Amino acid sequence: MWAPMMHYLTDPFHYMFIQRAVVSAVMIGVLCAALGTFIVLRRMAVVGHALTHSALPGLVIAYLMGGSLFAGALIATVVTAFGIGFLARDENVYEDTLVGMVPNIMFAFGILLISTSKSFRDLFSMLFGNILGITDGDLHLIILITVVSLIALFLFYKELKLFSVDPNYAKTIGMPVAVMRYGLLLFLSLTVVVGIQAVGTVLTNALLVVPVAAARLLTDRLGRMMALSCFFAVLSAVGGVYASYYFGTASGASIVMFCALIFAIAWGYKFVQNLWVRRMP
Amino acid sequence: MKFPYCQHRHSRPDPDAPALEIQGLGVSYSSEGKFALKDFDISVPVGAALALVGPNGAGKSTLFKAICGLLPARCGTIRIFGHSLGACHHRVVFLPQRSEIDWQFPISVLDFVTMGRYVYLGWFMPPVVKDMAIARHALKEMNILDLAHRQISKLSGGQQQRVLIARAMTQNADLLLLDEPLNAVDVATRQTVGEVLKKIKAQGKTVIVATHYYDQEEGRYDQAIYLKDGRQISDSNEQEDSGHKGCGHP
Repeated sequence: MWAPMMHYLTDPFHYMFIQRAVVSAVMIGVLCAALGTFIVLRRMAVVGHALTHSALPGLVIAYLMGGSLFAGALIATVVTAFGIGFLARDENVYEDTLVGMVPNIMFAFGILLISTSKSFRDLFSMLFGNILGITDGDLHLIILITVVSLIALFLFYKELKLFSVDPNYAKTIGMPVAVMRYGLLLFLSLTVVVGIQAVGTVLTNALLVVPVAAARLLTDRLGRMMALSCFFAVLSAVGGVYASYYFGTASGASIVMFCALIFAIAWGYKFVQNLWVRRMP
Repeated sequence: MKFPYCQHRHSRPDPDAPALEIQGLGVSYSSEGKFALKDFDISVPVGAALALVGPNGAGKSTLFKAICGLLPARCGTIRIFGHSLGACHHRVVFLPQRSEIDWQFPISVLDFVTMGRYVYLGWFMPPVVKDMAIARHALKEMNILDLAHRQISKLSGGQQQRVLIARAMTQNADLLLLDEPLNAVDVATRQTVGEVLKKIKAQGKTVIVATHYYDQEEGRYDQAIYLKDGRQISDSNEQEDSGHKGCGHP
């Protein structure tokens, strides 16, 4: 019984593209979940959603010009993140309005650019990701961004914690909270660009938010929550790769559906646990 | 001494300077909007306990936020122990109203209170055993050491208030700005907070408390400052004349 199962798990690893996909999945899963923890706890999930959609015009312009898709997406998301931050300084323009407005404009601009080109070949992978198509160059970039981002999260863990729970107190002790907010947006942009490789512009936010939401149901400690989120995200990402390989499903959608399944299990567990506690005398 | 987070250098406090000196302060929540606080002057000597009395919207929280640098002054000057704002972060602690904290954040009470040490730690330095011991001592003072490992979302209103005061004590500041610390708390918390405030004052620290309960706590303060509609007024009668309930009426 075990031998065929092991074959199922190991056979795909004979292919280089699967090896690259699994390593990418682990990296992207860990990065999205670790940063996503602070994004969710700071109620910035909607900003993550905005940035993922804003990457599209950058991707399309880079594709049309034959440049680096990564650079195109990164420029578009960073410009959007900082643009929203800058425009929100005007008291008459609400930040949530900008977050709701700018990404739609950017996304529409991306679609407009695609419609002017003759080729729609890569539209599907831009929108929904293609983790099985990751190249060596993409993989190196994903590893680099993941390692740098995780080191930054580790170094600034204490400050991010205070900045999230009580930003006013952080400011009163001299922390540069505006710089920290922009720093978080910068790392969010990098994470989004990396996530797009796996699940595309439309679904990246799910990888940032859903594993964290599932972990939040199961623990009330930040460290454990980050560890659990990373575990769930990696499980989903690797599960998505296998599903895509064996069933030919879209890799991005498969990863997100695994995330959703884990969330449903966590929610069910919590629901039963609450019922059990209520029935206790 | 250099402040870890802002790199400002801290000079020794001027021995002749008051703990807090404000002249002609004007504060608003937008650059061109209506003043939330206007023409405010005050001089608080070192070691004094001062009550800030006024109805909701009088400008008490606005004043505190201006003193600790959360709101910029549109006009006037603020000097703390003889220095300009931002030059002595560790000497000032602001205890906000409970609603301003994200109590759903997944950390323990001990973690939260230990944050009071961050001003001394700065970038990259995690809290060490000594910092945890200081935090535990503050929890003990507030009679909530048994809650050290409880998640902060599982605290009652009174316990949240004690936790906030414990964090302020952990910072070991010399000027404490407490924004309605006794608002909607149980009798036991009120007693504990009262005793702790006495101890803090006995240590020579300066305390300014925004309160609705001045008539019940009058003996605790050296002086009261009355605020109404963002302006300093002479006494409580002026508030009552205008129909405001103001001090003494929760």
